[in-house]
Amino acid sequence: MAETPVDALLQGSTGRNTRGLLRIIILLTIAAAAVSSRLFSVIRFESIIHEFDPWFNFRATKYLVQNGFYSFWDWFDDRTWHPLGRVTGGTLYPGLMVTSGVIYHILRFLTIPVDIRNICVLLAPAFSGLTAFAMYLLTCEMSISPSAGLLAAAFMGITPGYISRSVAGSYDNEAIAIFLLVFTFFLWVKAVKNGSIMWGALAALFYGYMVSAWGGYVFITNLIPLHVFVLLCMGRYSSRLYISYTTWYALGTLASMQIPFVGFLPIRNSDHMSALGVFGLIQLVAFADFVRGFIPGKQFQRLVTAMVVIIFGIAFIGLVALTLSGVIAPWSGRFYSLWDTGYAKIHIPIIASVSEHQPTAWPAFFFDLNFLIWLFPAGVYMCFRDLKDEHVFVIIYAVLASYFAGVMVRLMLTLTPIVCVAAALALSTIIDTYVLVSRGPGPQAKTNDGTSTEGLRSTRNPVVGITSYISKAIVTSSVVVYLLLFVAHCTWVTSNAYSSPSVVLASRMPDGSQFIIDDYREAYYWLRQNTPDNAKIMSWWDYGYQIGGMADRPTLVDNNTWNNTHIATVGKAMSSREEVSYPILRQHDVDYVLVVFGGLLGYSGDDINKFLWMVRIAEGIWPDEIKERDYFTARGEYRVDDEATPAMRNSLMYKMSYYNFNALFQQSQAVDRVRGSRLPAEGPQLSTLEEAFTSENWIIRIYKVKDLDNFGRDHGNAAAFERGHKRKRATKRRGPRVLRTE
Amino acid sequence: MRWCLSLLLFCFLAVVNALSSSGNRLLVVLEDATEKESYSTFLGDLEARGYNPVVESPKSDKLSLFELGERAYDHVLLFPPRSKGFGPSLSPKNIIEFMNKDGNVLLALSGKSTTPSAISSLLLELDLHLSTDRSSMVVDHFNYDIHSAAETHDVLLLQRPGQLRPDTKSFFDGEGVLAFPSAAPHTLGDSNPLLAPILSAPVTAYSYNPKEDFGSVEDVVASGSQLALVSAMQARNSARFTLLGSVESLQDKWFSATVKAPGDGKESETANRDFAKQLTAWAFKETGVLKVGKIEHHLAQDSEAPSVELNPKIYRIKNETVFSIEVSEYKYDKYVPFEVPENDALQLEFTMLSPFHRLDLQPSGKTENSSIYSTKFTVPDQHGIFSFRVNYKRPFLTSIEEKHEVTVRHYAHDEYPRSWKISGGWVWIAGLWSVVAGFLAFVIMWLYSAPTSTASTTKKTQ
Repeated sequence: MAETPVDALLQGSTGRNTRGLLRIIILLTIAAAAVSSRLFSVIRFESIIHEFDPWFNFRATKYLVQNGFYSFWDWFDDRTWHPLGRVTGGTLYPGLMVTSGVIYHILRFLTIPVDIRNICVLLAPAFSGLTAFAMYLLTCEMSISPSAGLLAAAFMGITPGYISRSVAGSYDNEAIAIFLLVFTFFLWVKAVKNGSIMWGALAALFYGYMVSAWGGYVFITNLIPLHVFVLLCMGRYSSRLYISYTTWYALGTLASMQIPFVGFLPIRNSDHMSALGVFGLIQLVAFADFVRGFIPGKQFQRLVTAMVVIIFGIAFIGLVALTLSGVIAPWSGRFYSLWDTGYAKIHIPIIASVSEHQPTAWPAFFFDLNFLIWLFPAGVYMCFRDLKDEHVFVIIYAVLASYFAGVMVRLMLTLTPIVCVAAALALSTIIDTYVLVSRGPGPQAKTNDGTSTEGLRSTRNPVVGITSYISKAIVTSSVVVYLLLFVAHCTWVTSNAYSSPSVVLASRMPDGSQFIIDDYREAYYWLRQNTPDNAKIMSWWDYGYQIGGMADRPTLVDNNTWNNTHIATVGKAMSSREEVSYPILRQHDVDYVLVVFGGLLGYSGDDINKFLWMVRIAEGIWPDEIKERDYFTARGEYRVDDEATPAMRNSLMYKMSYYNFNALFQQSQAVDRVRGSRLPAEGPQLSTLEEAFTSENWIIRIYKVKDLDNFGRDHGNAAAFERGHKRKRATKRRGPRVLRTE
Repeated sequence: MRWCLSLLLFCFLAVVNALSSSGNRLLVVLEDATEKESYSTFLGDLEARGYNPVVESPKSDKLSLFELGERAYDHVLLFPPRSKGFGPSLSPKNIIEFMNKDGNVLLALSGKSTTPSAISSLLLELDLHLSTDRSSMVVDHFNYDIHSAAETHDVLLLQRPGQLRPDTKSFFDGEGVLAFPSAAPHTLGDSNPLLAPILSAPVTAYSYNPKEDFGSVEDVVASGSQLALVSAMQARNSARFTLLGSVESLQDKWFSATVKAPGDGKESETANRDFAKQLTAWAFKETGVLKVGKIEHHLAQDSEAPSVELNPKIYRIKNETVFSIEVSEYKYDKYVPFEVPENDALQLEFTMLSPFHRLDLQPSGKTENSSIYSTKFTVPDQHGIFSFRVNYKRPFLTSIEEKHEVTVRHYAHDEYPRSWKISGGWVWIAGLWSVVAGFLAFVIMWLYSAPTSTASTTKKTQ
């Protein structure tokens, strides 16, 4: 081989340095790609906080930045859950806000005046770059191939499964939590590999950060013990395992208990019991291991069996007793719904009503992961071939995460990292095998001249094999094509599916130009400008965070669905007759009621379509007053037209949605474009509410709650008088006249 | 904010007039200008008290209750119309609108003429009911004036009304007899708490239509004290509507008549003039008007240190809190300290969804023209958005409805007692520190008791 100038750079110590530099450059490029592909939303729309939960996080961050950490910690929020308020400081995961706050203060310290909103908007893309790096580290632990880590980082950087939660503006807990998840796993694998207290402590530290950032930390809390448990069952106990696990558990649990929202859960909640149990188990195993040195094999065997049976029995009975006596909290509803997808729908409608808690549809896997999903099993298989401690971890993670991702749409997010790892392992093997130009170990069969008798004849003279240039070219080029397709797919999905802020809706005009529907912000700013500072707004809980964030007005319920009864109260007010609703509105000091109506534009995510959930949730609390059946016609149809049931037509939600809708259609009959039905010729009448605002496309309608009538009449009569109807002479009552007494 | 503004306006007007608490522009609607003569004393009395009565005919084109969307008058005095109604500018809708804008109305009816249906429907809106034929008259065969109505028995002689209920103030009491000639009766709906009768017919009275020859009283709507002769309706915004059954009682003739009831032989002067003054004073907000001054709430403290924050927006659970409210009452030409009637109490509610506390406010001080009521209580052990509410609505007094929102927060993380202050925690603290000390001792022992001999032996074996 001729010496070329390039060889000097690629061989020896210079070569190592060059490769290191290249690796850094590649990683930086991956991070840049990860960040830039998430900026579609900013370019398409603007630098704005997306969706629902991010609005709360944004508001909390602003509070933190304005009032400092201590008052954030003790924050009692009197602008949500009116009139109950929310002990917000103690019921949120502060990691995200504190991270942004720290970044904000560092930038201020460096005299870079950046608006806190921009930090919040760009936090998720920034952390996705870090995630790619963490992914590189994690995958490098799994494989000796240099390409695996880089591939995994690249996959993680642009896979839509992760982008869906981390585009610019998607300022949610997951934005930093996925980085922490991957990085904690990396540290854990490192700790198990080295048996080092330092790596275990670092894992615990980042676990603590993860706990502060996302409720999904429970996944780590269960996955790591499971990993240890499986290793123990495989007979792979070692002091490395003991050191790393005990370090992680002790420090990690202490760290997690520092978060006010978590508090004593790690020792009282069933979700955390596996970690505690494995902690106990590993002590026993360590002890048994210690004892083995002193006792002959036969007796030891018996001793161990007896001990295991006794201790397991005691621990199990103790756990059951503590759970029954209430010291350990039973499994939460969300947990049950992980095992039985029908559970939530029957028992906890509020959980089932959230779209991201629905089971995943199969195409979603391909949509979010593209070709990674079919490389994934191959990668898991490769792990079985090595099956070191860290590969066991990958396998367990893969199995668990696949199941959970199938149960709940939003857990696709936890599946994505392991899919990237496994796919990168598989693909790097392919690349390492096929891309090398050298022919590899020469086929020995040729020298034997066909005299070899072992094996099939066809294998003796392989025409096509992994050594031939043709097969290499085909495989390599197809891999390249797949990779290019993957990039194209990711870019397309990101720009089209995941970059919409959902605060602003975009649609296409017939000529192809973009048409922005900005009704939400129009209405929220109307509230902000035209209502008193403490006007209470009632709406379905989906819009609570947005009203709090954009309109800055107190709300009755919001997306933090901690109080089912309060939500049911709102559901009842929405689904009852005006006469029933009005006292509820008065009691809760409601000034304005906000509904979302898509009938004019054909916007299907409106309140009439969510209405049945309101009815169901209200029925859960008041089964005697609200019945879901009443809102269906005799034939079991959910209708809004002439055949709508009386309960439906008299409900406040129906009236508020269709009030004055007829006036929009001069001659013809009013048509609801979402439900595709013609509405009754005469629209509903409202007497206790008056229309205050309707946005441009009628998506948001705001009603003002009338005060009690000045003259003590009921609102129906007062409204009739306003319309010019003369009151009939007092109707003749049956029975004797009721005398008035003073 | 709005009550503040209206209060300002209130004070401003009070300074200008030194009369009614809500202005002196009075519209008198009288159809027949010639009749004005017979009410000269009454109108003169009003003028003497500082009003500017503008007498208009309901048919006049200029007549309008509003000017540029605002009230053109503060009070309206309506004499019974001769024709079918008051005309377009005084339609029920306009009058209701006028009252919605805090205007006061005094409507006088007469049993001699049929009340127009427009008025009847206005009264129905206020839950005041006239008899079905709208032209009945109250007749009492035991309490009539034998001088003027010896035959018809339609001039009622009545005692001045006293207290309506033991817990109300009385604004219409006094000595003397009232003469109510040809009074049109009305009844009060039994559901409306805003209504209050000022003067009811005697128990022996009944309603009767003199135009129907038939003397039947078969379908009596009401009788006796269920028939009201003068009633008050105070709307939620404290606009007052007063219905007077007998307009004739305001005539000069009856202001100084001598009457005699059939039973006792004593002749007496009518007290109509005095009663008319009391009635118009109440109807036009010269009496029974309450004004809320300063409202203060703050943390309770032992010494009167000025450091405590007034009206803070936020309290903590279990705080000791003091609430005080300043109330004054308008009496003819000035504000005087308001005294709660004997059997009544001004109450404070501390409410979130429902009251957690309902406390009587005790008088704690008095200024020249207001009295201060206050109370002290402990904030309940429940965080949330509470409000201090004073909701005082009594017949004949303008309503007090005060609502001040405050936030009640939870304990902050550093407001709990420290661990060593809880004696029950000492066991755990001792356990904790003994483990720490034990571990340190162990480490020290481990470090300083390294067996040197074994170290050397291992070296040798290597």
